[in-house]
Amino acid sequence: MRDVFTEIWESVRRNKLRTCLTGFAVSWGIFMLIVLLGAGNGLMNAFLTGSEDIATNTMQVGGGRTSKPYDGLKEGRRIWLEDGDVALTGSELFADHVDQVISTVGTNVTVNYGKRYFSGYIEGNYPARQEMDKIEVRYGRFINDKDIRENRKVVVLPENQAETLLGGGSRDSGARFATLSFDSSSGIEVDVRSLIGKYVKIGTFSFRVVGITKSDQMSDSNLFYAPYTTVKIIYGKGKEIDDLTFTFHGLDSEAANEAFEEQYRAAVNLRHRAAPDDRRAIWIWNRFTQNLQMNKGRRILSTALWIIGLLTLLGGIVGVSNIMLITVKERTHEFGIRKAIGASPWSIMKLILAESVSITAFFGYVGMLLGMIACMVLDKTVGQSTMSVMDEQIAMLVNPTVGLDVALGATVVLIVAGTFAGLFPARKAAQVRPIEALRAE
Amino acid sequence: MLIELKDVNKTYNNGQPLHVLKGINLDIDRGEFVSIMGASGSGKSTLLNILGILDNYDTGEYYIDGKLIKNLSEKQAADYRNRMIGFIFQSYNLIGFKTAVENVELPLFYQGVARKKRHQMAMEYLDRLGLADWATHYPNEMSGGQKQRVAIARALITRPQIVLADEPTGALDSKTSVEIMELLQQLNREEQMTIIVVTHESGVANATNKIVHIKDGIIGQIEDNREHQASAFGTTTIMK
Repeated sequence: MRDVFTEIWESVRRNKLRTCLTGFAVSWGIFMLIVLLGAGNGLMNAFLTGSEDIATNTMQVGGGRTSKPYDGLKEGRRIWLEDGDVALTGSELFADHVDQVISTVGTNVTVNYGKRYFSGYIEGNYPARQEMDKIEVRYGRFINDKDIRENRKVVVLPENQAETLLGGGSRDSGARFATLSFDSSSGIEVDVRSLIGKYVKIGTFSFRVVGITKSDQMSDSNLFYAPYTTVKIIYGKGKEIDDLTFTFHGLDSEAANEAFEEQYRAAVNLRHRAAPDDRRAIWIWNRFTQNLQMNKGRRILSTALWIIGLLTLLGGIVGVSNIMLITVKERTHEFGIRKAIGASPWSIMKLILAESVSITAFFGYVGMLLGMIACMVLDKTVGQSTMSVMDEQIAMLVNPTVGLDVALGATVVLIVAGTFAGLFPARKAAQVRPIEALRAE
Repeated sequence: MLIELKDVNKTYNNGQPLHVLKGINLDIDRGEFVSIMGASGSGKSTLLNILGILDNYDTGEYYIDGKLIKNLSEKQAADYRNRMIGFIFQSYNLIGFKTAVENVELPLFYQGVARKKRHQMAMEYLDRLGLADWATHYPNEMSGGQKQRVAIARALITRPQIVLADEPTGALDSKTSVEIMELLQQLNREEQMTIIVVTHESGVANATNKIVHIKDGIIGQIEDNREHQASAFGTTTIMK
């Protein structure tokens, strides 16, 4: 092994400039590959922030408007989901897949606390919602079964609105995870925990604050929760509900999900005297298939980036191959000598292949290292900044780095590429006939 | 017989077919010191290439130590060259970016001998040829005679059955030529090394014990030269 490296070093040492110039192309290829994949990851991560917190085995169903006439009724009719739909969803009919069904009902209200207030959407909900949406309760608790049973007037507020009620409410992004936020206008610090146990006024009713949820800038931060039963009694419109959500199991493929949705849609549509295949009468948001599609998109993006990166690398590989051809030509006489004194064709081939792989791998790793440094710089600069879109703070890149898997993948690529680059020149070298090579100068 | 050639024919087919060797029959025994003489174009270099398994022949048979050398794979040929034959070339054919000792080591490298062992052996051989002080020098730092002695060390290090020398003094002055030939004579005498020299210089041929004359691809006269009286210019000089 040491002998092989000595030979390679001797060869490279004689052609420093040439080797470095060739190596640069390889470094550049790998650098681009790593930076592209890192940026791609960052972009994907930015897209997926928030959505990854949600349980993926739920479907949300909402009412829509019919798009075709059916059963003597014209199209364009508004469909409202009702308690009956909840019962249907939870019935024997879908028991094979449906686990738990909850419905929500809500309305826009103003929440008052002393002189301060905010406008928000009160959503009557069940305790199960916390699990489904992965709602993070920072202080206090979420709605519990007792609230539901006793129709208690309690609310769970998001952190930023709690701050508003307390006179804080700094919108500084740096404060979003902080318990104590600094209010730039009034200059006082507020502790949202002090709000727990206090009563806020919603309309003519007093609600006790029992919990504070984490608010993030990606989702609706003026939505807050109260027990379903309470909201239904106060604001409900008879049997109507806003939407229903259920968890399911045993639907592992896109096809299975589609088949289930079709069957489910038909059943619900018929309850509302809409055509069974009317895709607009009710809306179904299947987070599982959405997630599948997201993953698919992620894979496509990543594949596209790999292809671009590899094509960039190809230029470098062709360069290495070219240089190895020149090397073989220059060393023909030497190979003749080696063969005369007993070098087998394979030992000559090995020499060229090893040199090719070494050059590719060495400069490739330099490129990879620089690429990873560039990713880190990207993370520290662009990755930390956000951009404001329609009053919402959106991160452009989140954690734009590559993992160990990419580094390993790139290593395999380098070795394969180096072998590939050396293969043709090495074959040429191995096929040199000794008497002709000895004649060459 | 160490070397047996039976009706060996060789034709080059580069455009005009050229029948270079027209039925060569030659036996060389172990420990012989033979020169093959002939004008350029006589086929002597082709014969040497065939003897050295660097080239193939078309018909006939070639045995080394009873082994038929025919239709070998490249790998086999390389192995036989490595173990049975030592080459000495007119232009030394040392590898320029390797030091003297590294050049001498190279055949052992292809035998898979360990690094330390082969270095030690190479130093031994260089020492015997009086070049121990030059071991770490590169070929371009040495004189022609020194380079040829390095090449001889490289040819000897595998303890080959046959040493083939192709115009070994062709690039040397007459004084160095005499030294090199004396060295080969000494090797033949003291170690019973079988040496075959190809040359067109009568002085070089005169240093050997048997002279094979080749002309137009046919072996002519085989001269017994144990008295070293073949050269018209005396027995101890080489006319340049």
